[in-house]
Amino acid sequence: MPINLQLSDRRFNRLALLGIALGFALLLGALATVVTSFNAGQSSTELVRHTDKVIDQLSLLNVELERAESGRRAYLLSPNVYRLQTYRDNVRIAPQTLDRIAGLTSDNPVQVENVAKLRGLLRLQLADMQRSMALVQANRTVLAQAEFAAASPNSIIRKVRGVTEDMRGTELGLLSERSAKLDQTVARMRRLLFATGIMLLLVGAASFWLVRRYTVDLTRTRDRLHVLNTDLEGAVLERTAELQRANEEIQRFAYIVSHDLRSPLVNVMGFTAELEETNKSLVEIMDRAEREAPQIVTDAMRHAREDLPEAIGFIRSSTQKMDRLINAILKLSREGRRTLTPEMLPMDRVLADIVASMEHPIDNAGASVEVETPLPNLVGDRLAIEQIFSNLLDNAVKYLDPARAGRIVVRGRSKRGRNIYEVEDNGRGIDARDHERVFDLFRRSGPQTQPGEGIGLAHVRALVHRLGATIDLESTLGQGTMFRVSFPETFSDQGVAE
Amino acid sequence: MTDQRAVNIVMIEDDEGHARLIEKNIRRAGINNNIRHFTDGTSALDYLYNDPSGPSHNGPSLILLDLNLPDMSGTDILAKVKSDEKLKLAPVVVLTTTDDKVEIQRCYDLGCNVYITKPVNYENFADAIRQLGLFLAVIQVPDPQPA
Repeated sequence: MPINLQLSDRRFNRLALLGIALGFALLLGALATVVTSFNAGQSSTELVRHTDKVIDQLSLLNVELERAESGRRAYLLSPNVYRLQTYRDNVRIAPQTLDRIAGLTSDNPVQVENVAKLRGLLRLQLADMQRSMALVQANRTVLAQAEFAAASPNSIIRKVRGVTEDMRGTELGLLSERSAKLDQTVARMRRLLFATGIMLLLVGAASFWLVRRYTVDLTRTRDRLHVLNTDLEGAVLERTAELQRANEEIQRFAYIVSHDLRSPLVNVMGFTAELEETNKSLVEIMDRAEREAPQIVTDAMRHAREDLPEAIGFIRSSTQKMDRLINAILKLSREGRRTLTPEMLPMDRVLADIVASMEHPIDNAGASVEVETPLPNLVGDRLAIEQIFSNLLDNAVKYLDPARAGRIVVRGRSKRGRNIYEVEDNGRGIDARDHERVFDLFRRSGPQTQPGEGIGLAHVRALVHRLGATIDLESTLGQGTMFRVSFPETFSDQGVAE
Repeated sequence: MTDQRAVNIVMIEDDEGHARLIEKNIRRAGINNNIRHFTDGTSALDYLYNDPSGPSHNGPSLILLDLNLPDMSGTDILAKVKSDEKLKLAPVVVLTTTDDKVEIQRCYDLGCNVYITKPVNYENFADAIRQLGLFLAVIQVPDPQPA
């Protein structure tokens, strides 16, 4: 399965979240850019309007002054109420216009200076005009006309015009400067917006690609699952059948081999016994010959008399051992073929019964066995479970350390769907290199102080595996051993044991 | 029971060594009956059914049967013998290495009279044969031709 090419759920979730967050961030950025651009545009309009207003007011001021001036001139030529009125109106509103200009340009030091200049000029002009008008009204028109004529070449009005021209120029300069700056900002914003748009597109495309790939993966996985589900039952059945066939073959093999091995063994034992019988009569004859005619007895014959019983003894003990081994194989093979019957086992009772049945060896060993109740109950085959625990307890009692009082503890617990039982002793322990080996058939560990063929733990492991359970051990040489059996909560027959 | 009606022992055993040991022990137990030995099932069945001195025509017989034979299973012979009107009167002693409970039960179901496991321990073996001698002494052989 190409799992490495597929996205893990976690990675996908992280990437998708990142994509969404990035998208939102970009959108926010775009919004901010748009708002800023809009504001910049508005500021630009505002600036233009402001400049227009200032220029407008400046022109107005000029016009007002011009009109006041022309009012004065006309009045100087021929005094007339209407002309006086024009003069007065404009003289009255001109300072107001200047105030407005001052207000509009108060933020610019250059313009403030100009305004001050204007104020001075205005004051002079107004005073000048005032004086002319006053002279006319006092019927000294000639003097007024003379003064006016003298002043006209470098009239104040011209200066005012110059200053306002300056101000207009400054204002227009400012406008173009600010506009340029704003244009720059707007251009930058536009670029930013463009970039954001591109990135949004990219993120969108990436997200789309990601989701699509994930979906494709999911679909593929789902299809595969579907196929697996459909095929699983068949595959399991097929493999189980295969396994069972193989197991049965091994069982049959073990059975036949052990049977066929027994047959010659019967002969070996039988004729060895016959040989022994014959030898007895031969020895009698030799003894008699030695007594009555020692000269016919050779050394070789004397040796034979001693060697034969020894040889026969070895043959006998070896065949007996072979018989025990064959019986062990037979027992295991038979155990594997036994039908298991699951039942609810009250483990407290089961263990108490086993301990009670072992009272004699336990007392002999001077040991104490403690079952820490309550033990979790177990659904299993009674005989198999009893054999497992009596074998483990039997081993614990057999291999205690004579240097200290034996103490054996049985405890159990339920954990994550498994029932775990421990048989712990403070016995002589098992060397670390033998931890696996002790479970092998005919293998034993440590000093061979106890009779046995090395079958017990092999048998236990076969049973444990058949019940779908596992067994392991923890042991320190010279300190003790703990066997741990872990059963699945539900009973299952794993078929013929190995 | 007269001497002419002495029980024939028919031994069906493929292992010559076993046959010899069985015979020795039978003799040692003081049984001097005639022993006919067959090493395969075919010739044994032929004798049982067709031989003029065989049990289906003549005298009473005791059958010693090994279950593991080269050409057929001992239980097949047992089934045949026990389904035959005349032959089924002959007691059958199954003498084999198998101590499988299922096998033993099957033999008894088929009508075997005694089932003896050949023990590797020779003393036990000799004892078992001696018991067989006692069994032989007490079997009642029905008269094949009632007066």
